[in-house]
Amino acid sequence: METEAPGQEEHAPDDAQHNVVLGRLLSLFTLKREKSTRRIRLVAFGFGLVYCVIAGKLIYFGLHPELRQAMQQSSSDTVAAARPDILDRNGVILATDVKVTSIFAEPRRIIDRDEAVDQLTSIFPDLDPRELEAKLGSHKGFVWVKRAVTPEQQRQVYHLGLPGIGFMQENKRVYPNGPIAAHVLGYANINGVGISGLEKYIDGEGLSDLQNAGFNLTTENLKPIVTSLDLNATYALRDELAKGVAKFKAKAGAAAILDVNTGEVIAMASLPDFDPNNPVDALDPDKINRMTVGVYEMGSTFKALSIAMALDAGKVTLNSKLDARESLRYGHFTIHDYHAQHRFLSVPEVFTYSSNIGTARMALMVGVEGHKAFLHKMGQLERLRTELPESAEPLVPKNWGELNTMTIAFGQGLNVAPLQAMMAVGALVNGGIMIHPTFLKRSEEEAHRDAPQVIKPETSESLRYLMRLNAEIGSARKADIDGYFVGGKTGTADKIIHGHYSNDKVLTTFMAIVPADKPKYLFFTMMDEPQGLPETSYYRTAAWNSGAVTGKIIARVGPMLGVTPRFTPPSEPFPLLAQAGYTAANLPPPGTH
Amino acid sequence: MVRLLNVLAIVGLVGSAIYAYSIKYETIFRGEKIVQLRQQIRAEQDAIAMLKAEWEHVSRPERIEALSDQFLAVQEPTLKQVMPPEALPAKPAALPPDTTAIGSLADKPALPPADTSATPRNPHAAGQSPDAN
Repeated sequence: METEAPGQEEHAPDDAQHNVVLGRLLSLFTLKREKSTRRIRLVAFGFGLVYCVIAGKLIYFGLHPELRQAMQQSSSDTVAAARPDILDRNGVILATDVKVTSIFAEPRRIIDRDEAVDQLTSIFPDLDPRELEAKLGSHKGFVWVKRAVTPEQQRQVYHLGLPGIGFMQENKRVYPNGPIAAHVLGYANINGVGISGLEKYIDGEGLSDLQNAGFNLTTENLKPIVTSLDLNATYALRDELAKGVAKFKAKAGAAAILDVNTGEVIAMASLPDFDPNNPVDALDPDKINRMTVGVYEMGSTFKALSIAMALDAGKVTLNSKLDARESLRYGHFTIHDYHAQHRFLSVPEVFTYSSNIGTARMALMVGVEGHKAFLHKMGQLERLRTELPESAEPLVPKNWGELNTMTIAFGQGLNVAPLQAMMAVGALVNGGIMIHPTFLKRSEEEAHRDAPQVIKPETSESLRYLMRLNAEIGSARKADIDGYFVGGKTGTADKIIHGHYSNDKVLTTFMAIVPADKPKYLFFTMMDEPQGLPETSYYRTAAWNSGAVTGKIIARVGPMLGVTPRFTPPSEPFPLLAQAGYTAANLPPPGTH
Repeated sequence: MVRLLNVLAIVGLVGSAIYAYSIKYETIFRGEKIVQLRQQIRAEQDAIAMLKAEWEHVSRPERIEALSDQFLAVQEPTLKQVMPPEALPAKPAALPPDTTAIGSLADKPALPPADTSATPRNPHAAGQSPDAN
């Protein structure tokens, strides 16, 4: 108001001067004096009216400071942008926004800077006085003093009564379950910008575009994101994995559950992980998501792919015999068997004894080009992209010769992301349909829409049979949970240290399907450098660590996922094999329950 | 006459002015009320969001497991305890009305009459009921 009055006083002499100038100018153009005077008055009246309206509006704004406040209020919501809630498949909140108060300052309006710095740092001891002084001394109109303060701190600052210090409501992202599913969720920073995981994916899906365009988004008008995760299953999975990693003194571990019919990732954990509420060390290279960002030699679990390839190409049948009498030589290289039998092995025996020689021979029957084409079809040679922005390119040999085909057949020489391997094994057991994994909830119809058939249903059933057989009499016995008709495959890969395969450092993997006659879930566990323990007779192979952990996960998670145990085994679990004349598959195996 | 009309007109004018103003103030009052309520709703929504987050935090599986380990004396469930609804035994078929003396006693919660001779009114009824099942 005080500024308004002098402004108006200044107008009057201005106008007078104006009129004199105008009069002189007009005198140059005047034709009929009396007529133009009237016109000038009319014009002057019009302009005067416009000025009055402007002045009136200014006074109006001056009298209603709350209008300005309201405009600021609405802009404050976009300061830390609202983000949609992230829910698990059952509607439990995995990430949500809560309102917090933040303290800001308008440096130009601060009267005593030193006093303000003194008093604010006494309330917030973690504020650096020098930094705060620099902030308050800047010529900006707005600086943050402290984000997300407690109500008590807010009250204290309010009672300081410092001019130029104000409060603003902000959204703060919270993750009520802490580190559970942290790698899938990722996290958002203090400004509400997704930095990793699904949080970043949400931004990429147009949320940040809407925010930048100035839409005032609130939590209420954003649709929640429903993920494919099951919180309880994820917790149980992570818990069992953490126990396993601690027990076997492994450097790291990862585990996941995939629904093979929909491609949904039901649970996923990678240890070590981080707390998205406090993501100070989330970008530490040791805390990567090993399921999607790490690439590893999958070891013997890859044999499932090689055998499926040979079966699907018609190069072998389940009755074929492969020569495993002695180690396989190729140039300078010799391929050995870990459990050497020194005789001809049938295809199921190659699988249960995990014979490198037998698998290499099968891959050679298909040939290098056929092998490449098959792995390409199974998505093992290209980067797997999911909703998670973090992904890694598989390490594929540059010059792929026969030797590469032989070693890749049993899981050496091709590094893939574990989730990628799961996708392929899922396709091997679900009837041969290649379903792209997802972290968002979806139905079976949606999943099957663009999913190609990559292997024959008979081949898929053979693989299910082989995995079941391996759980009954082979290396996957530790995961054969009574009642769940589990099928599984172990994989132990020697780690490459300084360019050579190490003798004592291994990466163990385990894949299990539940139930083997009609798979619904694929379980995966991986351990990096597990140690042999007295109770495992100092074995460090996959069966003892990853296999045992997978068994515990299946027993604990199965009931949560509604898998009903059957204590009488299915009468004819593999009907297609029976039709093809391979009756052995449906007979109860000798010497088991 | 004209004077009366004038007076009426003035009264009408004043009346309508009062009416108009009262409506105007009512509107302002309601408008303020709406703003207040909106603020309240917002505050409640924020509080609900906060409580929801808090609930998820205190009911997170990690905490529940720790609490159950500490306070509940229950065993880990085994798979033998899990079964599908279909595996439950079928609901028994409704029994035919029990006409034996004991059955008739059961129907009457009050003290039975002095007639305590246990002779069934229909001697075959007791033998029939298992067949009916």
